[in-house]
Amino acid sequence: MNVIDVHGLRKEFKSYSSRKGLGGAFRDLLTRNYTVLRAVDDIDLQVKQGEMVAYIGENGAGKSTTIKMLTGILTPTAGEVQVNGMDPHRQREAFVRTIGVVFGQRSQLWWDIAVQESFRLLKKVYRLSDEHYDTHMKQVIETLEIEPLLDKPVRKLSLGQRMRCELAAALIHNPPLLFLDEPTIGLDVLVKMKIREFLKEINRKYKTTILLTTHDLSDIEALCDRVVLLDEGRIIYDGGLEALQNNWVEGKQVEFEFQKPVAKEELEQITAEFPVKWRAAEKLRGWKATVEGDDDTVSKVMSVVMSHHSISDVKLNQVSTEEIIRNIYEEGMHRHG
Amino acid sequence: MFYVSIFFQYASQYMKTRLTYRSDLVVELFSDILFQAVNLIFILVVFGHTTLLSGWSREEIIFIYGFFLVPYAIFSSFFNIWDFNERYIVKGEMDRVLTRPIHSLFQIIIERMELESMFGVITGVAIMFYAGSQLGLTVSWYDPFMFILMVAGGALIYAGIFIILASISFWSDSRTDIMPMMYNIGNYGRYPVDIYNQVIRYVLTWILPFAFVGVYPAAFFLGRDEWYFYAFLTPVMGLVFITIAVFAWNEGVKRYRGAGN
Repeated sequence: MNVIDVHGLRKEFKSYSSRKGLGGAFRDLLTRNYTVLRAVDDIDLQVKQGEMVAYIGENGAGKSTTIKMLTGILTPTAGEVQVNGMDPHRQREAFVRTIGVVFGQRSQLWWDIAVQESFRLLKKVYRLSDEHYDTHMKQVIETLEIEPLLDKPVRKLSLGQRMRCELAAALIHNPPLLFLDEPTIGLDVLVKMKIREFLKEINRKYKTTILLTTHDLSDIEALCDRVVLLDEGRIIYDGGLEALQNNWVEGKQVEFEFQKPVAKEELEQITAEFPVKWRAAEKLRGWKATVEGDDDTVSKVMSVVMSHHSISDVKLNQVSTEEIIRNIYEEGMHRHG
Repeated sequence: MFYVSIFFQYASQYMKTRLTYRSDLVVELFSDILFQAVNLIFILVVFGHTTLLSGWSREEIIFIYGFFLVPYAIFSSFFNIWDFNERYIVKGEMDRVLTRPIHSLFQIIIERMELESMFGVITGVAIMFYAGSQLGLTVSWYDPFMFILMVAGGALIYAGIFIILASISFWSDSRTDIMPMMYNIGNYGRYPVDIYNQVIRYVLTWILPFAFVGVYPAAFFLGRDEWYFYAFLTPVMGLVFITIAVFAWNEGVKRYRGAGN
């Protein structure tokens, strides 16, 4: 059974533009110019129970808008949405009892009151029995290690501490489906790892379906077996992470560190006969070459570069997921698709 | 029933938070009383120059003011939605509200309540008793029930108007100064409507019916039977306005656009 079943989902926003000058302002009073912006453009998406799906895209690609439609916050302009067998917007109050939501940049907890008081209020809001709360929440609190934070007010918590409490709050009613919007934004590595571990565990234990958006691709590598890539409101890739790595970019990446500064044009010129893309590396005088082709081509490129310029270091990398996704956005669909 | 128990949960949480900041509470109550005293002095100053205002005596006007304070206190305890646009639409807090299994308007009411405003009920009743004894009014057995009905009607009219205004934010999230203006207009209901010209009277009765929060229902207790028709209309107007308001709200929520990230 599909937990999320979406067909032809679309969301349009009207945005008004104002004309120039005072005369323009008066004309705006009578008739306003507006443009229709299609934030989400005919999306089809099916997610099965127990899947962990990464929903990624650049800023403004329509990630948040989709999540907000799937959680019943926004009304779709067109399309069919069935989540947990319900229509999220029409049956909102019944529906939200079956989902958990974490918005990384926005707190779900009450700012002034102690964490456990927030939990207590939420327990009432979701009409949970004492037994359910005691057994289920005790485990959640233990796994997230937030026991010592319970009597502190939320405003006194650090971001990492708050985030763990947010997660616990979203899971208070043990929902079968969890939406996470940037759950690890701004967190340090240790907290990130803890949160990932926790998500894996609830996924294994309760078969909780998780849909998450993130800018941190290591989240995806650690958690998700499926990636949905969004660009300008359309899904441009939907499939396994491994397939993405294998199909979209063949070849390898070579990172050179030169002894003297080198211009990009120079490098492009000497390797013009090979399928190479150059990009500045983080290091001083460093350049990265993404080579599409077999190992033979790679070694030829290396020898050409090294015969022209003296280098201080050279590294051969597998292309990272981050690199792949950056490539996809820069080059667009047409090249690979 | 569920909503009642949730209401008390939030209320008790609210009290706990307020009691931890005791000095704030005292300052707030004090400034409230001061504000009401200034209003009262204004009435007294006006009547220093005249004894009758369109056939209303000073005590009657003080009585109306006292009555007005009661529904107004209830309104300001529970319907702090004057900053709804800023707080919930622009900052996107509405997102959070909409992910919880309680009606969104009810959630905002219980989140934003300011129970200390209920103090106005005591002030209002005290003023009414003072003015009433000066006028020699007597209390009948049905007066308390009528009082509750009239107060409820008045509070619902106030709530209805402000909920409708807040709902406008769903269609247009540009800032407007309509809310403070409305608070000012609301104050006109405290004075007898026959001192105003026809147009204002019509507006205060049928368009922004603030007259139903002060003068009309108070006229019932003052025994001014020429206003009885309007007085009995108070609860009806309350129901009509709250119904329109909830409808506008529900329609608005469908159009909620969310805040961009």
